[in-house]
Amino acid sequence: MKRRVVISGIGVVAPNGATTESFWKACLDGSAAVASIPASWRQYAVFGSTLWAPLPAVDFSAYRISRIEQMQQDKTALLAMAAAEQALAGAGLAAELRDEKKNIFSLSSLDPARGGVYMGTGVGGIVSFSQNQNHHLQAPLAPHVAPEARELLRFPARFHPFAVAMTMPNSAAASLGIRYGLTGPNTTVSNACAAGLCAIGRAYEAIASGTVDFALCGGTEYLNDGFGGVFRAFDIARTLVRDCGDAQTANRPFDERRSGFLFAEGGCAVLLLEARDAALSRGRTPVAEITGFAESFDAYSIMAPEPSAVAVSRMVERACRDAHIDIRDIDYVNAHATGTLLNDIVESAVIERLFGRRPLVNATKSLTGHAIAASGAIEAAVTALSVNRKTTHACKNLDRPVRQLNFVRAPVTFPIRNALTQSFGFGGHNAAMIVSEA
Amino acid sequence: MQTSTIDNRVSKVVADVLKVQPDRIVPCARLREDLGADSLDLASLMMDLEREFNGSISDEEAQKAATVGDIVALISAMASAGPTQAAPTAS
Repeated sequence: MKRRVVISGIGVVAPNGATTESFWKACLDGSAAVASIPASWRQYAVFGSTLWAPLPAVDFSAYRISRIEQMQQDKTALLAMAAAEQALAGAGLAAELRDEKKNIFSLSSLDPARGGVYMGTGVGGIVSFSQNQNHHLQAPLAPHVAPEARELLRFPARFHPFAVAMTMPNSAAASLGIRYGLTGPNTTVSNACAAGLCAIGRAYEAIASGTVDFALCGGTEYLNDGFGGVFRAFDIARTLVRDCGDAQTANRPFDERRSGFLFAEGGCAVLLLEARDAALSRGRTPVAEITGFAESFDAYSIMAPEPSAVAVSRMVERACRDAHIDIRDIDYVNAHATGTLLNDIVESAVIERLFGRRPLVNATKSLTGHAIAASGAIEAAVTALSVNRKTTHACKNLDRPVRQLNFVRAPVTFPIRNALTQSFGFGGHNAAMIVSEA
Repeated sequence: MQTSTIDNRVSKVVADVLKVQPDRIVPCARLREDLGADSLDLASLMMDLEREFNGSISDEEAQKAATVGDIVALISAMASAGPTQAAPTAS
């Protein structure tokens, strides 16, 4: 028999908030992080997009991540550890220092053999990879480069001895497992923009089936290589938002004047999931319950959504069946809503076809930009918080909607009992999760 | 740079990286046998020393350093040679 699975704690690091509560407040305030891309990037290319969503500074030491660990890990792993500490604190779980030399911790009252880690990432340690490759190629070249051109060179002083461990996409999940001594399954999902939500779905299924009793799960991404190379890859594919004179209004998912997605420097969300009975026995009230999950694949195009969205439709219907609810019981949809021309027209059509115009609909990426795998997890966090607090954020910059859905135009209080969050990834990967009152 | 300053700064870096108590960081202490360093610890140690002293330690020099005293001598020689011209960094 399938066990019930709850969200006990949430940790978020996003462009508009470095902690769960500051992020949530920023969302309700309609506060978004938007800035011009660093001027130094323009030395290398002429970009079509000139905007991004930078991350706030994070004091990793405050999360008991040592200075040496910060030297040895890619930012994706550091963000995951910071968000995991937030999630555990939010769940009322003390992580006690177990070995000072190794800086590893044990979780009070939880059996580490019954704990799993499920993380999603799109490109893993790509920044560490590119920095080390730059050293490899540019360090021998540097002495021969004219002084006035040397400023174009971008390489660290040393090829990092931990280069492999920092580059591999599983480093964030592995770091969490090592940090907390969790010896259950440790899995990394790489389904592009759906990876974070898929990872949470894997954790849900593992707990529901009894494979594990609790799991740290989510998505992490870090894309700032210091010279705009990763940014250029998305820009050259014409996926990114164009400046419209007022940077704050450029990112406008679901709006007729949308022009692409706002590239985020990165981000992370980690959720602590538990078997419901175990969470309640600890005397904690869960944030929300995950009641359904489903995936599908478009089998259509490596970078465009399938126009009829038939795979998405079937997936959402399956997720509702998994949750044992009728599709008409969905009160709120947290959409994928990147702000690209293709995604938003296809997604708005499938939302109307499935739900009509009844449920609330919003677009978290209108506030956070798109942090690839991290976004699906961040949006799962928003969905859970919305169900828990019976309120959700507005769609920023939505003036002329592409379709007449029940878009949230101002933070609204509403008895949200069941919500859907969905993510669609390059390649055609789709994920849908139903989050319900706990 | 004064030797006592180098000693103190090297000791702090060794303590930070290897997570050992300062009273164990004496010139004759062997990095592997006495202070428990493995190969990854030694790599991190050299990186952190380069950061602390704004210099460059070659792999050959690093491999020869078996004790705390060897590191102090290496850093002292590096300090006498003068600071290296730092490469533009990636971020």
